[in-house]
Amino acid sequence: MESAGDLSYMENGESNKSLMGKETCNNNGGVIRTAQNRSSSFMRKKSDPMLVSTVRFQMLRQFLANLQQVILGTKLAVFFPAIPLAIAADCYEFGRPWIFALSLLGLTPLAERVSFLTEQIAYYTGPAVGGLLNATCGNATELIIALFALYQNKIHVLKYSLMGSVLSNLLLVLGTSLLCGGLANLKKEQRYDRKQADVNSGLLLLGLLCHMLPLMFRYAAQSSGISIAKSTLELSRASSVVMLAAYIGYIIFQLKTHRQVFDAQEDGEDEDEEKAVIGFWSGFSWLVGMTLVIALLSEYVVGTVEAASETWGISISFISIILIPIVGNAAEHAGAIIFAFKNKLDISLGVALGSATQISMFAVPLCVVVGWIMRIPMDLDFSLLETGCLALTILVVAFTLQDGTSHYMKGVVLCLCYIAISVCFFVHKVPAPLDQTIVNSELNSA
Amino acid sequence: MASLQEPWLLENGNLKGCSKEIRHGRTAHNMSSSSLRKKSDLTLVSKVRFVMLRQFLTNLQEVILGTKLSVLFPAIPLAIVAECYGFGRPWIFALSLLGLTPLAERVSFLTEQIAYYTGPTVGGLLNATCGNATELIIAIFALSQNKIDVVKYSLLGSVLSNLLLVLGTSLFCGGIANLRREQKYDRRQADVNSLLLLLALLCHSLPLLFRMSGASAALTANPTLQLSRASSIVMLIAYISYLVFQLFTHRQLFEAQEESEDDDGVSEEEPVIGFWSGFIWLVGMTVVISLLSEYVVETIEDASDSWGISVSFISIILLPIVGNAAEHAGAIIFAFKNKLDISLGVALGSATQISMFVVPLCIVVAWIMGIKMDLNFNLLETGSLALSIIAVAFTLQDGTSHYLKGLVLLLLYIVIGACFFVSKMPLSNGIDTIIGA
Repeated sequence: MESAGDLSYMENGESNKSLMGKETCNNNGGVIRTAQNRSSSFMRKKSDPMLVSTVRFQMLRQFLANLQQVILGTKLAVFFPAIPLAIAADCYEFGRPWIFALSLLGLTPLAERVSFLTEQIAYYTGPAVGGLLNATCGNATELIIALFALYQNKIHVLKYSLMGSVLSNLLLVLGTSLLCGGLANLKKEQRYDRKQADVNSGLLLLGLLCHMLPLMFRYAAQSSGISIAKSTLELSRASSVVMLAAYIGYIIFQLKTHRQVFDAQEDGEDEDEEKAVIGFWSGFSWLVGMTLVIALLSEYVVGTVEAASETWGISISFISIILIPIVGNAAEHAGAIIFAFKNKLDISLGVALGSATQISMFAVPLCVVVGWIMRIPMDLDFSLLETGCLALTILVVAFTLQDGTSHYMKGVVLCLCYIAISVCFFVHKVPAPLDQTIVNSELNSA
Repeated sequence: MASLQEPWLLENGNLKGCSKEIRHGRTAHNMSSSSLRKKSDLTLVSKVRFVMLRQFLTNLQEVILGTKLSVLFPAIPLAIVAECYGFGRPWIFALSLLGLTPLAERVSFLTEQIAYYTGPTVGGLLNATCGNATELIIAIFALSQNKIDVVKYSLLGSVLSNLLLVLGTSLFCGGIANLRREQKYDRRQADVNSLLLLLALLCHSLPLLFRMSGASAALTANPTLQLSRASSIVMLIAYISYLVFQLFTHRQLFEAQEESEDDDGVSEEEPVIGFWSGFIWLVGMTVVISLLSEYVVETIEDASDSWGISVSFISIILLPIVGNAAEHAGAIIFAFKNKLDISLGVALGSATQISMFVVPLCIVVAWIMGIKMDLNFNLLETGSLALSIIAVAFTLQDGTSHYLKGLVLLLLYIVIGACFFVSKMPLSNGIDTIIGA
């Protein structure tokens, strides 16, 4: 089978690769190890091939080796049983909140495995396509949840979950990383390259502008009594195209012209060897399979979120903004903290900021465009409270990161900001579809 | 008595070793207000024959006359007289305000003296807590009389005054006096303070946005209150970690600049009054401050009516100018000498203390007293606060200074003052008004 052949080819070619150096600075044949790849590599376990090699048939052995790498190759594999349980709960009509909880738990390891598979495939496709793949699939879970919410016309869940993802990356992941890193390195000076942070802050501010324009537009028109739902929608769609163009520019900047700004720090220590552990086609088929399972679980999550909210007595906005993103980001979160402990802040920042930029400049406009195609009136107006939180968050983060050093106090402030915002949405029990029904009725009458 | 013997003890012991500032917790606050001290002239007192009387008079002279602001001390008995004999209430207000000015400075002096005995850490903590004692006491009195708007306005005004007026005049005067020299300061201290102020801004904005986006006042009043109380706890946690950061782990960022020059006889490293006498004086002065604060809070509406100025203007502009007068003068003096770190430490440290400690403390106290105070300071005030914090954070983020920075901050303060001068909103006494639905 191809996988074993590829494996041996890689092993033969290894000496050549190590001569070319591990990092991507000067060679084009090496593999891109972006911040996200290196961060989630901490959740991997080194597979032990001994048990599998006792099996006699070659194909079976290769298949089992493959299986072991993919399914058991992470510390998060303990959560995998939640997937069949969630499917069973849906078929046998357990309580809907159970379906919700089990689906959420099942999504956690899947998100990490998708990132692993993307990295493996990137070994075969070369750095440029690999980087693109990572940029697109890095937040696959959030994107799939969002698309399902769009499809079921639960636009408020969609908006809340995307915004919550941005907030979680900017405040929670970044805050805990800076806090833990600061406490662990009290006597050392902590520096990072501020150019990367600056680029991300600039893009986030552009995203913020695109969010605030429809909002202010709505408030300005409300006082004069004109119906502007249609204009807001057109403005949002045009802004989405702008944001996607900005994201493409960012990808070119990051992967082609200014790559040196984004290279992960080289330290000469012992990292994973530079070879794939599964073949290209098996990786690809695993990726497709896992995406299907993610899609299934996301459908459960989106379908049962109201039931869970009623049963547990928590508002939908809190579940969408706080709970779902924490689950979706768990693997990256842990990796970012571990790198901060080792005083490699560039990687932690790359993970957190890169994710936030990806969601606000790619996932959100993509949803607006998909909504445009599906004729669903999704716009960029995330209502006053959420946009206000987003604006203040981006302001605080941009200010925090603009000097290039760090200490634990910065992490403390960011974490406390996140707690304040969580409390705000915890007590926010306004009926959710209020805005959307107004918009829909305006559109229908227009 | 202890007071005369203590100086001997310290002089005999070796004062060398680690730097003076750390040992005695001479923060920026202490060094700044010390510039208003006068060196006591002990020759007059030493003629008195009895020892105990002499010591008492020395003590009195140090404490009462030891500052240039002591000319305002007669206002205190005048205010009490005005209250007892029923003079015009605006007079009580004005005299109480004048009397509070030297008292605030003396409290800071006494705190510094006590800090000599308690060591640097407790001294720093004492200073951090008592540094804005006047504002805290005024706020608690207003709270007990259920004048929640006065509390909010006066605390907001204190923050604005520190951030814009004190900082602006310091940078302006420092810039003019040092036109040919480069003015630098350590930006890390300014960054930490700006970050905490941004957190405070977030906690203030959330209830406001909540209110504005919510359905109706009745529906959102209780959640806003819960949110405010939770945010206050968050802010207090941030303040405690700031103290840990400032006093324990990252001390080196906050030490006042050490120079070897002779600072006009800024006091030698020994206290001039004993620990217990200092403590007694402190308690006594706090009692007097409470009395005058009670007068101020009671008579504020009458003063506003008779002078024709809105209560918001008096609370936001006049009260804080008085409360901050001593620190203000000190900050300007140090800016003249191109010691911007100290001026910044005073202004930013005060603003951080009020917004991260005094405001949440008032909310917690109101919670205990059953009064519904929240963090929603209304649109105009929160907007001014937001723009001030952003302007100051931006101004201070590069580590150098010139007079134009000070001028801009000053002009910002004047514009905000004009805004509150013309806005004659009615006082709502605990019932929040909704912004045009």
